[in-house]
Amino acid sequence: MFFNSPAVERLVEAFRRLPGVGKRSAERLALHVLGSPEDEALGLSEAIREARTRIRLCSECCNLTEEDPCGVCSDGRRDRSVVCVVERPSGAMAIEKGGSYRGLYHVLHGVLNPLEGIGPSELRLERLMKRLDAGSIHEVIVATNATAEGEATALYLAKLIGARGLSVTRIAHGVPMGGGLEFADDATLSHALQGRTRL
Amino acid sequence: MRLLSLHCRAFRSLSETEFAPGPRLNIIHGGNAQGKTTVLEAILYAATSKSHRTNLDTELPQYGAGAFHVRIQAQRGGHGVSIEAHWLNGTKRFKVNGIPQTRLSDVLGRVNVVFFSPEDIELVKGGAASRRRFLDMEISQIHPGYLHALQQYRLALRQRNELLRADRPDPDLLAVWDVQLAEHGAAIIRLRGDYVAELSRRATEAYARIAQAEPLTLVYQPDVLPAEDLGAVLAKMQASDIKRRATQRGPHRDDLDILIAERPARSHASQGQQKTAALAVKLAELELVNARAGEYPVLMLDEVLAELDAHRAEHLLDAIPLEVQCILTTTEQQRRPGRFESDCAYFRIEGGRLEEEE
Repeated sequence: MFFNSPAVERLVEAFRRLPGVGKRSAERLALHVLGSPEDEALGLSEAIREARTRIRLCSECCNLTEEDPCGVCSDGRRDRSVVCVVERPSGAMAIEKGGSYRGLYHVLHGVLNPLEGIGPSELRLERLMKRLDAGSIHEVIVATNATAEGEATALYLAKLIGARGLSVTRIAHGVPMGGGLEFADDATLSHALQGRTRL
Repeated sequence: MRLLSLHCRAFRSLSETEFAPGPRLNIIHGGNAQGKTTVLEAILYAATSKSHRTNLDTELPQYGAGAFHVRIQAQRGGHGVSIEAHWLNGTKRFKVNGIPQTRLSDVLGRVNVVFFSPEDIELVKGGAASRRRFLDMEISQIHPGYLHALQQYRLALRQRNELLRADRPDPDLLAVWDVQLAEHGAAIIRLRGDYVAELSRRATEAYARIAQAEPLTLVYQPDVLPAEDLGAVLAKMQASDIKRRATQRGPHRDDLDILIAERPARSHASQGQQKTAALAVKLAELELVNARAGEYPVLMLDEVLAELDAHRAEHLLDAIPLEVQCILTTTEQQRRPGRFESDCAYFRIEGGRLEEEE
């Protein structure tokens, strides 16, 4: 940075910690903030502060929410016998956008990853088990990502939940809708072939 | 597959070199450090985007130069192919038939080469890891699913080993990685088995043609067989794995036995026999590519005649099928008599300058 100011450096550092922001972008963002009208710049910090203090984890499903319990958990029209387990809030958001799922969610906030020191106690599993023990849930859909870690987590959940006598299902992996076969990668195609369904 | 020409500029010791090999046997002779190996390395680099001597492209430009350029032209099934490699201050760019390539993997397989260098004797002499590396490289090129299985297996193995390093790991947690190890590991074991079965027969034939004596056999030694048992083996080993803090069984412990007269070549063969065995494996690879692509790759043999007696050297040249274009380097200025004379082109290299000899 061409001027020596600890305050500016702190701001650049803060931007750099955001996902997908490199050194150059962080400097550009910092300069933009410093160059914009004061109320706009402070508005950003106020928006962050407000969101951060208002948003918390739903005490039921651990998704991000302003009200506790969250909109999904408190919605009387949702199917309370099914819960869909996702890695992150973004997973629940994606499924919700699809609009066809009417059950509940549970957000783990991570997946098993020994190399990064993430074990079962780092995930929101205890809360999930309590919900299952309450008795109204009959099926758990595991929608962790199709990565090695996501699969391992799915298997671990299957064991844990299967022991309670509940039905555990895994979402299917395969060819994207409306997509040509030639755009699917080899691993996806071989998975899609294995998981074929009878017509 | 036939290489028509090589042109390189500022590639290692070759400041400006043209090479137009003949259709059959090409012999490049020259003293040490005159650039023989570098000619082969340049061809390999253009064909595969990699050097066999280094992983650092920064070592490739001529001393003091900030760029190099390599171009090869080849004939493939009646069609011309040209590949250009251009390296400038740390970025490499490839063009195939004049079209810039964004992915280096798209360059691979346009011009097929099989390369034998003196270091390849490690395949016979070295530890099991060097043979697994050979199998992994060869099979990934033939079978796209293999690379995926290998990457997933390695990742799951690292995760499981990390769990095993902790004090008193949870058996249920270990078991979830076992499922993935078993699935991908079984695929690896099966594909390795299939590949070695195809390679072995051809290597035995090639060795017999060169050595004309004791037989060579390649035997795949999977750590776990049959492949479907891997899951059960991992489960059975769990207590012991926890004690030793490592995953002790699985395809990461596989080996490929290379036997000469039914004895391990690694410990019981002479230097010449080991070299012959490594060569036989390369010639088998040549046959495999031909069986798959319907065309022989270009065969490059670096310093292959050293350490072989006159008989083996002659038989080696006999063992190469007539349709194969071969480029061979040697320090001796010796003519190959007999039926090769008419098919043979001779080149001399000195201080990086290559000239054809009459």
